[in-house]
Amino acid sequence: MSHQVVSATLFALRIPFVEAFAHSVRSRTYSDSIVVRLELADGTVGYGEAVARPYVTGETVESCLDFMKERIWLAVQQTAYPSPPADSAAGLDWLRAIAHTLPTDPAEGTPGHVVAWNAARAGWELALVDALLKTEGRSLAHILPPQRPSVTYSGVITASGIESAVKMAKRFKQFAIPHLKVKVTGEGDRDRIAAIREAVGDKPSIRIDGNGAYDVEGAIATCQELAEFAIASAEQMLPRGNPADLAAVQAAAPIPQMADESLITLADAEALIAANACQWFNLRIAKCGGLANTVAIAQRAQAAGIRCQLGCQVGETAILSAAGRHLAAHLPVEFVEGSYGKLLLSQDISRHPIHFAHQGRAPLLTRPGLGVEVLDGMLETYAYQTISLKS
Amino acid sequence: MDIRTQIERYYAAHVQDFANSSRFQALEAGQLSRADMDQFIANLCRAHLKSPQILAFLYSVAPPAAASAIQHNMLEELGLDDEGICHPDLLLELAAAAGFDEAQREALVEGAQENVRSLCTDPLMFGTIKELGLSVLLEVTCFEWMLSRLASRIGRALEQHRGLSPESLEWFYHHSEVDIRHAEEGITSVVDYLRYYEIDADELETILDITFRENIFLKRYFGAIALAQETHMLEATP
Repeated sequence: MSHQVVSATLFALRIPFVEAFAHSVRSRTYSDSIVVRLELADGTVGYGEAVARPYVTGETVESCLDFMKERIWLAVQQTAYPSPPADSAAGLDWLRAIAHTLPTDPAEGTPGHVVAWNAARAGWELALVDALLKTEGRSLAHILPPQRPSVTYSGVITASGIESAVKMAKRFKQFAIPHLKVKVTGEGDRDRIAAIREAVGDKPSIRIDGNGAYDVEGAIATCQELAEFAIASAEQMLPRGNPADLAAVQAAAPIPQMADESLITLADAEALIAANACQWFNLRIAKCGGLANTVAIAQRAQAAGIRCQLGCQVGETAILSAAGRHLAAHLPVEFVEGSYGKLLLSQDISRHPIHFAHQGRAPLLTRPGLGVEVLDGMLETYAYQTISLKS
Repeated sequence: MDIRTQIERYYAAHVQDFANSSRFQALEAGQLSRADMDQFIANLCRAHLKSPQILAFLYSVAPPAAASAIQHNMLEELGLDDEGICHPDLLLELAAAAGFDEAQREALVEGAQENVRSLCTDPLMFGTIKELGLSVLLEVTCFEWMLSRLASRIGRALEQHRGLSPESLEWFYHHSEVDIRHAEEGITSVVDYLRYYEIDADELETILDITFRENIFLKRYFGAIALAQETHMLEATP
């Protein structure tokens, strides 16, 4: 059986954070996610989420909205979408077929440089997957069978002064979070990491994330300076650029390197692998263009012996958190970020809270679709722009 | 710094932030619209209608030295003490006086119940009931601290600027009197709790930080968006 999408609504949200979140590129005080709410001809509703980051894929919220309504909506309303397969072995093909219907190129004359319209595509892919699975009463776990009984999340310590960083570290220690990631900026890194390590003790693993704040020499020097604190990986120390530069850091630094902003497309993955640029990939659904593309990059990484982390965009709501939960349970990822829910957002948009619990643990999701019940009232409360699309 | 002082300073700062907020000052100055005042009344009712249940939880985890005071507080809230004033009833009388019809008052009770439901269904960040109990105790006693200092000012504001009768505002005037005692007893209960469960000053500091990460009064009484605007997480008119 096939399904037609008859209408959609794009909600551009501003959900305040409990406290500001900063890294080397910028500080945020609210989530600026775009929620895609679409309706099939039989009345089934699906939800997806896009998080546009100009310094990641090049998409802004406005350009993402334009791409969604001018390019994706045209394609979606002309497509008959298949029901999910009964056999979960065919699930990935079904997922790829859905992703394949979503355009990749902007309309002619669109200004600005965009690496890939991955946030926009991810938002629509998730909404389609959610709705189509719901028509059959199936969970995304049917398409992405879980390989573990629960998911363990990392805590992330924002770029801030030492006092604030230690306060956050102590919260995570109180919650017994086993893995921490610390944003580093090139200013006072050693003192901050030393204070955090002292606050949490030897047990939790610590990773660092530079968000491209360093040059090659600075990245190597910083890794050498921080290695004594048992750092598990150093994420995106250099700006996105030539993989050979990252390879130079990987070869000289005592901490394994992880690619994040350098890894947006499958072609990026191929280039990083070919250059021996890093030991880790940070996968993110919104950055990599949805579930199908993220799985493809993960499979390529696995074949090349690259270890994987499933990360998130700051400010993701329950929708991307749920998709991330399914993917983290399915893929052989070693670190997982996300599902912060009301730990970061003043309010989340789902009826049931999504955030992880003590020790960073969160259960698998089993309800139909992505597994979250989105509250339309919350979307209306926090939307500063709403776009209605009808076929 | 002794533990009692540490807690009092935390509470005082939290209450001060609330009293200094533009929303609270607008309430006192009569600058809130009628709709905003009614929203404030609704939020306040939702925040406190299920207080007896929360106190019952605290009673169940109370150390022996604090159990009697918490039990008395709970019975007082229920109107089962000598005074016989049921506090949730006072809140519903306030709502009725403000013009909330029966269906709206029922919705307030349902909203308050939803808060209890959230407390039970939200994934637990703490490892034991001991820590959760402390966090709830800190929040409840901080509310008592705030009400002992601001309840009569809120009552007067609603009397002057919303035209409510002193009788309908009994919840505020009653709290401004009894919570002076409760506020003192509350901090003693926290100190007893810390001693009984062997929680040290460092852990207390972390749990205080976690519990009061957001201004609980602004969030509960004026809502998440108002809080975000007060703390500059959101612009005033997004």
